[in-house]
Amino acid sequence: MQSLGLDVLFKGKNFVRLLGGLWVAVRISLISVAISIALGLIMGMLMAGKNRVLKAMFRVYLEIVRIMPQMVLLFVVYFGTTRVFGWNLSPEASAIIVFSFWGVAEMGDLVRGALVSIPRIQYESAEALGLTTAQVYLYVILPQTFRRLVPLSINLITRMIKTTSLVMMIGIVEVLKVAQQIIEANRRTSPNAAFGVFATVFLLYFLICWPISRLAGYLEKRWA
Amino acid sequence: MKTAILRRVLSAVVIFTLALSLSVIAYADDGDFRTLDEIKDSGVINIGVFSDKSPFGYVDENGDYQGYDVYFAERIGQDLGVDINYVSTEAANRIEYLQTGKVDIILANFTVTEERAEEVDFALPYMNVALGVVSPEDAVIESLDDIGEDDQVIVISGTTAETYLVKNYPDIKLQKYDAYAEAKTALENGNGAAWANDNTEVIAFAIENPGFTVGIPSLGSADTIAPAVTKGNDTLLDWLNEEIEALGEEEFFHADYEATLLDTYGADYEDTLVVEGGVAAGTDAAAAND
Amino acid sequence: MDFEAMREYLPLFKDALALTVRIGWQGVLLAFLIGIACAIIQHMRLPVLRTVAAVYIELFRNTPLLVQLFFLYFALPKIGLRISAELCGVLGLGLLGGAYMAETIRSGLESIAPIQSESAQSLGMTGMQAFRYVILPQAVSRSVPGLIANVIFLLKETSVFSTVSLMDLMFTAKDLIGMYAKTMECLTLLVVFYLIMLLPVSVLGSLVERRLRHAEFGP
Repeated sequence: MQSLGLDVLFKGKNFVRLLGGLWVAVRISLISVAISIALGLIMGMLMAGKNRVLKAMFRVYLEIVRIMPQMVLLFVVYFGTTRVFGWNLSPEASAIIVFSFWGVAEMGDLVRGALVSIPRIQYESAEALGLTTAQVYLYVILPQTFRRLVPLSINLITRMIKTTSLVMMIGIVEVLKVAQQIIEANRRTSPNAAFGVFATVFLLYFLICWPISRLAGYLEKRWA
Repeated sequence: MKTAILRRVLSAVVIFTLALSLSVIAYADDGDFRTLDEIKDSGVINIGVFSDKSPFGYVDENGDYQGYDVYFAERIGQDLGVDINYVSTEAANRIEYLQTGKVDIILANFTVTEERAEEVDFALPYMNVALGVVSPEDAVIESLDDIGEDDQVIVISGTTAETYLVKNYPDIKLQKYDAYAEAKTALENGNGAAWANDNTEVIAFAIENPGFTVGIPSLGSADTIAPAVTKGNDTLLDWLNEEIEALGEEEFFHADYEATLLDTYGADYEDTLVVEGGVAAGTDAAAAND
Repeated sequence: MDFEAMREYLPLFKDALALTVRIGWQGVLLAFLIGIACAIIQHMRLPVLRTVAAVYIELFRNTPLLVQLFFLYFALPKIGLRISAELCGVLGLGLLGGAYMAETIRSGLESIAPIQSESAQSLGMTGMQAFRYVILPQAVSRSVPGLIANVIFLLKETSVFSTVSLMDLMFTAKDLIGMYAKTMECLTLLVVFYLIMLLPVSVLGSLVERRLRHAEFGP
């Protein structure tokens, strides 16, 4: 144990601190996914519409999300907005904004795809039955797209949790930063702590993400 | 029935999101800096410190910040009568944090340099520092000329060591890291021929890690370390200067040294390192390899 | 904006772009090789290897690259395995990408009806031939959109290389900000250089995708 540096995990509150760091990561992802789902639904409906200007704008937005690394966006939002607009965003707020920016694009595109795939006749029949447009969406179209979206949004949660490892770079003390702090505080007494602590962090991420992505895979197969 | 539930769920989701977005936006207030009175009124001061630079600023196993810088920070909070919110910084972010008003004071072992003084305002110094280079015992680097063509020197992005080497020794290959913890682990693992940084830091490293020696104990000019505030934040700057002068009378920084650094450096370095009352004495000492 | 400073930084960003592209593409190539190997192992249901591949895929799909790099670069030397930063970058990207590529190719393979393989074999092909000439080409063309998305994803992931001291685009920007505090100039250059690197890949990807769909389904 000593030589692999696992002993430092059991010193003081170290292990609880690691878990606390993991919770920070999970919390950011959950809030961002909630925002992404809600705004993504609205965006998807707008994208499925016929307005050319809106569509072109969304294309640009999607392309930005597709090719800009989240890390770059984090830096732009965290430091850039203060410079340009004088906003003083907390690191966590910046992270949530960036993750939602990414999530809304993905969800929006998925919702659009799901909406477009529903045959025209359903819209027409529903309207023939006297439903208003809002009612058509609420009672007929959205419930059908839900099943397809649930596994994909669960999947998005795991991808966001994994990406939260980047927020360390804008000063959020999450699991990886806690790991570094532990290694640093124990450098003298257990020089090999880097192995045990990083291996533990690796496993912690896996233990969180694996069940969630299994659940997503299961739902996808079952509801397909 | 089912649709009524669905509708309620949907509207709940939308309201929840709007509330969230609003609360996110509410974090945003105007940037710049907070004056002394604003800090006192809010009851909290944001102080940027290192969280992985033992023994100056680090986090112990109970999750509490510790170290020479933190000991001083605690006193600042006490004398201002406010709580302290520690913000963990990396070397390269320190100026950015002040300029964007994300912290009120940087107490992260911040060396006073001319370039930095153009970007932020430094208070009176509380520690002496120069640069130093630590290397493995079996291949000690005693002069920068010893560094071979293929050797890489580890530095931390945004430190004075980096700027110094880039400016004065552009041919030396640098291996740059974000965080102290990463640079030290890389040196331990043998990824670089040496590590250049503040001499305080490399001396501490050599003492704590058998097998490493400080081949170059002093390099560049003798500098000082001081708290920094956002440029133009005079109320806070004046208060800090008065505080440092007042603390000199009770030999506060000697007590700080004995509480936080004695274990690492022993008593020998006490008078070399500590600056009391904001008066740096040894500015004429050691301008060795410049 | 200080354009003079931007011009001064330009060569540094160019170097960083070169490094990012070089390591990025080596990583992507490795990812393809690992991905194809794993997909074939799983498709052929080779004993033991199949379990190894499954464990590997799950492990690397469910952990962040940053953590994988930390482990490869900082933790492994503690048990006597030291690898250079560049190799670490390529390896990290290849291992992460391999897991994603394997999943994409496998779902491509699964989408080809089993009757095709059976018909090919009844025409006298061996199982290997049927796989090589009938199944694989179709599976690959069906996986293309997913594969392109993976390539872009991997090239974006290079932004975490700073932790292992590789001067990629992201680290160059951060480093310059730390030294000279020209935030907006550096962030602008950063965004521009990522566009230069990834926009062509993205556009080319869409073209190839359209082309393949054309080949498969006709105009």
